[in-house]
Parts: sequence; structure tokens; C-alpha cells
Amino acid sequence: MSQPLFRPGTSRRTVLRGALGLGALAAAGPLLAACGGEAGEALDPTGRPDLDGVTLKVLVNQPNAGAFEILRKSFKAETGADLQITPVAYDKLLAKSVLDVQSGAGQFDVIMYWYVGLGTLAAGGVLEDLTAYIKANPDIDTGDLLPSIYDPYTLYEGKRWGLPFDGDTHILYYNTELFERYTLEAPRTWEDSNAAAEKITKDSRGEHYGVIIEGQQVPIILGCTFANRLVGFGGRFLDEAGKPVLASDEAVAALQSVLDAAPHALPTPLQTGFDQALPAFLSGKAAQLEFWTDHSVKAQDPEHSQVVDKWDVVTLPVGGSNTKPATSLDAGFALGVSTLSKRKEAAAAFVKFAASKKQNEAQIADPTSGSDPIRTSTLSAPVFKKSFGRAADVVAEGLSGSPLVWPNGPKAPELLQVLVDELALAFQGKQQARQTLEKVHSAWEKELG
Amino acid sequence: MAEGAITRPAGLTRRRAVRRARLPRVSRWQAAPVTAALLVFSGYPLVYLVGLALTESTLARPLQSWVGSDNFRNALDNEIFTGSLWRSTLFAVLAAAGQLVIGTGLALALAARARRLGLLGGLLLLPLVTPPVMVGVAWKLLLAPVGGAVNGTLALVGLPAVNPLGDERGAFWTLVVIDTWQWTPFVVLLVYAALLGVPEELREAAVLDGAGHWRLLVSVVLPYLRPALLAVFLLRLVGGFKVFDIVYVVTAGGPGAATNTSTYEIQRTALESFQVGTAAAETLVFSVMVGAVATIVALVRRRAVRAER
Repeated sequence: MSQPLFRPGTSRRTVLRGALGLGALAAAGPLLAACGGEAGEALDPTGRPDLDGVTLKVLVNQPNAGAFEILRKSFKAETGADLQITPVAYDKLLAKSVLDVQSGAGQFDVIMYWYVGLGTLAAGGVLEDLTAYIKANPDIDTGDLLPSIYDPYTLYEGKRWGLPFDGDTHILYYNTELFERYTLEAPRTWEDSNAAAEKITKDSRGEHYGVIIEGQQVPIILGCTFANRLVGFGGRFLDEAGKPVLASDEAVAALQSVLDAAPHALPTPLQTGFDQALPAFLSGKAAQLEFWTDHSVKAQDPEHSQVVDKWDVVTLPVGGSNTKPATSLDAGFALGVSTLSKRKEAAAAFVKFAASKKQNEAQIADPTSGSDPIRTSTLSAPVFKKSFGRAADVVAEGLSGSPLVWPNGPKAPELLQVLVDELALAFQGKQQARQTLEKVHSAWEKELG
Repeated sequence: MAEGAITRPAGLTRRRAVRRARLPRVSRWQAAPVTAALLVFSGYPLVYLVGLALTESTLARPLQSWVGSDNFRNALDNEIFTGSLWRSTLFAVLAAAGQLVIGTGLALALAARARRLGLLGGLLLLPLVTPPVMVGVAWKLLLAPVGGAVNGTLALVGLPAVNPLGDERGAFWTLVVIDTWQWTPFVVLLVYAALLGVPEELREAAVLDGAGHWRLLVSVVLPYLRPALLAVFLLRLVGGFKVFDIVYVVTAGGPGAATNTSTYEIQRTALESFQVGTAAAETLVFSVMVGAVATIVALVRRRAVRAER
């Protein structure tokens, strides 16, 4: 009979063998982790790649998949190169791109990112530094890129990590039919908006709701709801030095304003995400909705909307002592080159192509693209006025001004999670507005040092 | 010495000697695949997890620098995580207990009806074979406050609308109900199979002694089934601790943190806040807690088995 592998009892030799095995595993862990992230060759800023026959793999935000189909056709026609598009839900985009590089898979050449993830991607070695490439390619015409979004979307630690692709902002949609029925004016302040919400919800006795408060506990939903009021009341997330300013009177007033609106909102705010909010507005059930600019296309589409020609938009209202309207950079996407790409020059060429004036206008012209202006010239282009219709002036005003920029450093995902967790507790009535924001402020200070 | 007798080397207790004699013996090369699989699938992840928990680790840059117990301190200082440990335990115990009671009742009813499950068995399996994500979506649509089927039906009969997912307790209990709805058939199947193993002569003896249905159930069948029931309870308890899909789809941990179970919170920490080091520490704390609870149940079960023998 052969020797048993395992014997009852423990000998010194067994302990030594076990310790050696564990030690080897422990040593292998970092090695395995490190070998996953081996970068490809550095990007040649002046490289002129032959794109004919090349296929670039592109990770994109799912709602923008249509935009990339448009780009794929025009890129192929101009260069002979094709795109292999992988759409991913907006809230999984950052994790997917980080894991792609961290695991060493390197499945993507071009990465679309929400600008809040810029610091995470740049500091994590996921994005290629494009500073030299942008300098070496003056035809990118960076002077035409909207100043309000160019730096927030691409600049981290003095270097450029991408080019803007979709200049997202929120505007306030309202149902003109309901506003007329209840003799209300278009809301110019958050106080107007709250008063309208209360009147419509009370007077319609449950048939309609005066406002939709999107309060699902994820940054891109509840974070936007708070940011829209924060900018309206003249508050900011961070000061010029990058320190949190969330315990300010403006921030507290902004949160109080949204908490005041909650009882009159579509039930119930903490449950309300895009899949509840959009049908409620498009069916005429709810009267006010803060949403992205491209929603105007859907609101005018009879296939999706029962409020065709019964809606209008205003810039995000002001509140408190602030009288200067501004918008918030809610969402907003840029394109960068993966450090693991084996075709970095080709990938950079595509990023440049996608951010060009011609392509931005082509995107705007197609209502299915879901894209917004990224260039100053686009805001004055006839195609923008035609596509955005009544929303055009409001969008242009927001993007030309000084919008609220969200945190975009390496700690941003954590900061925003803390923010929405505490906001949700305030919505539940477990803490007051000031207490909520003082807790967030303190947590942010601790994280940012 | 008689054949089959156990030789006891000096210094070895009789109990150990018996255990040693019962061990199946395999050659090293035969055990190699299992050993390798254990190292790859258990050893490496565990060592890596401990490594992450003891270092500054983000999703993009794991194992940056040694931080000792900082990640554990961060995890235990986080009220949402510590609250999630309690919520996970409560959820697992309530769901497992509910499933055991309902499942046993249904199994007894089925066993009283026939010795084969037939078509009814197939129907019972439907919730079990439905993907949890689909279960979550279906329940979410049913319970939608505006346009949901439940409120639509209530409106038809003139009753006021309900919104169980809109308040803390309602959302938590809704998840318990959904989990119970999905997993009770599993309990039914196991308990039904165990019921088939109850010796007929035992029943007959009890009936001859004058036991009625209730006495038969309480004094004969349930005591006989106790080890099996505790095993099923243990299985569902661990399943309850692991719940993630329905939380993700139906409530996303809300409202507030009312349904934020530990698995969901760990996912949020790792893949939404990207604090992989803290998430690893949370995972270890959670594993210890699940292990402790499961061990208690396993000990109770072992005692029941011994008592039965």
C-alpha cells in the first residue's frame, strides 16, 4: 500500500512545508498582480499610423453606443479602420476599465470615461498620458474645446489624459400643460420650483406629481440631484485649493431645498432612478424633471412621449441669495488611450477624430447619438440650434458659463459614495441637512488630507 | 490480534487511532490534483485577500503599502458596514427559519398526499429555477409605487396604494419574502426526501400505541427529521448570508441603508468606492461572523444526530 499523503497529527516538517507554501503564495500574489498591468510600448506623439485594416477595441458608455455606431461608419470611410464597440452600463464603466488594465487583459484600445474617474484612471496607470500627443497635433484645436469642460474632463496633475467627447449637463424640464392648468410660471428659482411642486401634487390629489426627485443612492443619480441645487444656491464641492466646502451655508440651504421638495415628489425619491423618472415625465404624470439635455429629443418623439409640444426647459434655477444661474457638470465623458493598447498611435488618432469639430457636429445632428457639444464652435453651429430646438439656448448658456465641477481626483469615487450615503440618510429623515453635510465635509477632509 | 482490530501507536489516543485508521489512503500523485485545486481556488485567494486587507489597496493599485490593521479599523468604524453585519444575520435567520417552517409544512402536506411529487413537483421548482435577477425584476415591477401590478389591483378594488419598498421595514421584509418565495421549494424537496426516509414501522408502532396525526408528527416524525431539518436550516442560513442578487436589483441596499447587507456593502466598497483593502477586511470580518453562526448551528445539529443515535 502506498504512503498516505495526509497523516493525522502535525510534524515539524509539515509545519515547515506549510509555511514555505504559504510564503510562496504570499510572494506570488504581488507578482501576479504586478505582471497583470504590464504596459504596451509608449505612445509616439508624432506617429502617423497606417489605419487601413486596423480594428480598434473601444469601451463605451452604454447610452452612447449609438454615437459610436455613427463614428464607426465615418471613421471607416475616412481611414479604413474599424471599431469593435463594447457598451457597458455607466456605473460599471470605471470598474471595467480599471480591471481590464489591472488584470492584464488589455481588451481595449480606447476607453470612454466619466470625468469623475479621471484621477483614478490616471493615477492607476490605466490611461496613457496624451500631453505630448495633443501638443504635437495642433489640428486638435484645443482652443475650440469648451473651457468649462476641457480641464475637468482631461487635466490631472498637470497632464492631459484624454479628449472630451460628450459635454453633459442637466437642465430643468417642465410640463407646460400642467403649469398652465395650475397657473404657474416657469421656475426661475428653486423656491418657485418647490412651490409649483407642492401646488400641483396637492391640487391634483395624486393624479399628478409636481416634481420628480431622483434619489437612488448612486452618485450619478442622487449626486446629480444634490449638485443641481448646490450650484443653484452658489455652493461648490471643493474650493480652488481642492479642499471640501460642503458645510457651507449655501450647501446646507441647497440640501434643505431638495428635502423640502421630497414630500411633493413622485413617490418615493430614494427609489426613483432613471427607469421611474423618465416614464413619469414622458407620460405627463409628473411636472418637473432635472435631466440631461438630449432628453429633449425623446420628449418630442411621439413613439416615446405623451408630452410632445407640452414641455419646455429652463436653465437650472437659482436659490437663496444667489442670482447667477449656472449648470452642473453632471456626468460628461471623455476618451482616452489604454496603457495596455498595442495600437496606441491608432487609438490616439481615433480619440482625436472623435473629438473633432466635424464629428462633434455630426453627433449633434443625429438625435440617436445622445451626445452633447464639446466645442465652442458647435454651440454656434446651425445644426446645434436645429437639433436641440428650445433647449439650445439653455444648453449653450450652461456650457459657456462656469459650471459646477465634481471631484475628479483618485479619491472621487469614494467621496461621492460617502456623499450619497449621507444624503440618503437625510432623505430618510434620520439627520438634518446641516448635520448631514458636516458629516460629509468631515469625511471628505479626512480622505483628502 | 483479531483481524480488523486497530493498532494504537504509543502516545496516540484511542479516538485518534480510530480516526486515523478510518482515513482513506491515497498516493501522493492521486491527491495532487485536489491539492493543487485547493491551493489555487482556496489557498491563493485567501492569502491574497489577507494581503489586500493588510495593505493600502485600491482597485487600480493593489498591495501598495503595509497598513497593518487600518483597513479593519476603517471597516469596523463604518456604521454602514457594522450595521450590515446585523442586517445580514437578521435576514439570514428570518429567511432560513421562514423557509424551513413553510417548506416543512408543504413537504408534509405533499407527503400526506402522495409518495411522488408529479406535476406539482415540477411547478414547485419554477421559482427555484428562475434566475434571481429575473425574480428581482419581476418583484420590483409588481411593487412599483406608480404603475405597479399590486397597486393597480388595489386601485381596482378601491383600496389605497402601498409602497413597501419605500420604507425601511417594508423593504427589508419584502426581500425576506422574495428570498422565501424563491428558496422554499428547495427546502420542500429536501424535507420531502427526508420524510420518505422515516421508517414505516416507526409510524405503525406509534399508531398502534394510539398516536394521532398530531402526536405522530410531533413525537415521531419531527424528532426523526431533526438532524435533516437542521442541515437544511444550515444550508439556507449560509444561502441567506450570501444574498446579493435580489438586494442589487430590488432595493440597491436602500432606502438609505435599510437593506444594505454585508455582501452588497462589500461590493460597494470594492467596486464603487474602489477601496479594495477595506473591502478585503470587510470580507474577512464577515467570513468570521458567518463561520461563527454556521458553527453554532452545526454544533446543534451534531448534538441532534448524537441524541438520535
